[in-house]
Amino acid sequence: MAELLRIESVSKRFGGLQAVDQCSFSVNRGSLVGLIGPNGAGKSTLFNLVSGLHGPEAGSIRLESDELVGRAPHEIAGLGLARTFQTPRSFSTLSCLENLLASVPSRGEQITSAILGTYRAGERESIAAARQHLELVGLQGRADDRADELSGGELRMLEVARQLMRDPKILLLDEPTAGVTPTLQVRLTEALKQLHAGGLTVIVVEHNLGFLLNLVERVVVMVKGRVLTQGEPGSIRSDPEVINAYLGRRGGDAA
Amino acid sequence: MNWGQLAITVVTVVSILGVLTLVLNMQYGHAGMINFGVVAYFAVGAYAYVLVTQAPPSEASLDQYVIGLGLPPWAGLIGAALAGLVFAAITGWPTLRLRGEYLALTTFAFAEVFHSFIVNEQRFANGTRGLVGVPRPYRETLDFVDYDIVLAIGALVFLIVVYVIFERIVKSPYGRALEALRDDELALITSGKRSRRFRMEIFLFTAPFAGMAGAFYVWYTTLVIPDLFTAEVTFIVWIALVLGGEGSNRGALIGITLVTLFEELVRAIPFSTIRAAQVAAELEVAALGLLLIIFLRWQPFAAWTKAPKRVARS
Repeated sequence: MAELLRIESVSKRFGGLQAVDQCSFSVNRGSLVGLIGPNGAGKSTLFNLVSGLHGPEAGSIRLESDELVGRAPHEIAGLGLARTFQTPRSFSTLSCLENLLASVPSRGEQITSAILGTYRAGERESIAAARQHLELVGLQGRADDRADELSGGELRMLEVARQLMRDPKILLLDEPTAGVTPTLQVRLTEALKQLHAGGLTVIVVEHNLGFLLNLVERVVVMVKGRVLTQGEPGSIRSDPEVINAYLGRRGGDAA
Repeated sequence: MNWGQLAITVVTVVSILGVLTLVLNMQYGHAGMINFGVVAYFAVGAYAYVLVTQAPPSEASLDQYVIGLGLPPWAGLIGAALAGLVFAAITGWPTLRLRGEYLALTTFAFAEVFHSFIVNEQRFANGTRGLVGVPRPYRETLDFVDYDIVLAIGALVFLIVVYVIFERIVKSPYGRALEALRDDELALITSGKRSRRFRMEIFLFTAPFAGMAGAFYVWYTTLVIPDLFTAEVTFIVWIALVLGGEGSNRGALIGITLVTLFEELVRAIPFSTIRAAQVAAELEVAALGLLLIIFLRWQPFAAWTKAPKRVARS
């Protein structure tokens, strides 16, 4: 399988804290990868580095042939990288449908087109696509509700749908099940498997190991900003080093 | 009290300040940019109009200004719009990276700097004395009607045009992007959109309308003096926007209408002594503050000014 994302010797320091330290791994096109590690291992920081919110001190991050380091976040997003946040982000005063529409380019975002109203045809297509994406995450019934009326779990699903609207090459999910009801979790798992079957590459940061190990094909374990080990969920579960660093003495249910 | 005259004045002032309120509503209500220097874009337009249209300075007069192009009124109006644009570019470029209260402070500072400039630089427009008796455009051609009515209608048409343009933007994907920017800039950026582009664009697009409102104001007052363009104008516009409900163009117009009506009514009361007028002037400010508190607490017009939903029609 061809490599889609390659992270090479990336380092990031915040004052006295080395958040990410010479971190390297790569992700193949179409794979579903889990990223785990104890709190403070640098998982979210790594996501911020990949999506361009922080600049690393050293290292290189490539999406296909494009170097991401040094690019602005909106450019990186434009190259096909989508991400969610640990605390879900949304456009709180817009409706769910509008949240999705605001996340894709539109002709009507040119002032002249906006005044002349020449964006309507494209807009109709986007609305149809947005309704499909809302259905994918189970929010079709809330299309016209404002985002700030949603529950925490629904907000996460909305964020996922919003990012999928752009038809990204790779999706980075930061703790997608935190605060999400079991029903919605099942829905999310199904949606992710469906997208994965469709060829989308996904990296998931997750503390809910039951959810994660059933979902992903490969797991990367980070500790103190470095990659400790990586492998199939089965081997990670029994790796003594991982158990020691992260899972704790009790084994499988340490989240 | 002459009710007809009062009505004409209210229509004119509401139309001129209404444009400023709409501009602020686009910048703050929709895009979330706090502009505390609204008056500067208005003043720049007013002064530009006068500099473009007035006669070149003559040796014989007491005037100290050095620029007077002597061009016709329509050129002055274009000059006012351009001045608004240029001033927005100069002030927007360094400030629009700033957020929230920092933007508020810098825009306020820019406005104060401009005010200080027009007060102190005699060669610009005679400093504090200003320029009085600015001719009203096409006054002679229109001498068969009451010029005040013509001006009121002209200003109202200008307001309606600006309202229609802004409403179309608000209801389009552009307006949606502005509100998305206001709600969560990071979410917008990580969706692949350049937030700075929207900030700068809407700032530059709306400022010329504030500049043109300045030209209308000169036609109304026939003078430009620094005293007309103090921070009070900014605050009046802000109060109007908060009263009417930011984020709604209709609300902005209701707000400025209420504030202007109130001010003009107080102004129209025939006071018998100067002392009474002074007391009334002080009370007017206090009453305006009280009005603001009442509106914020009970939101009596909330139902009229709710921003319309964009997508429901689809």
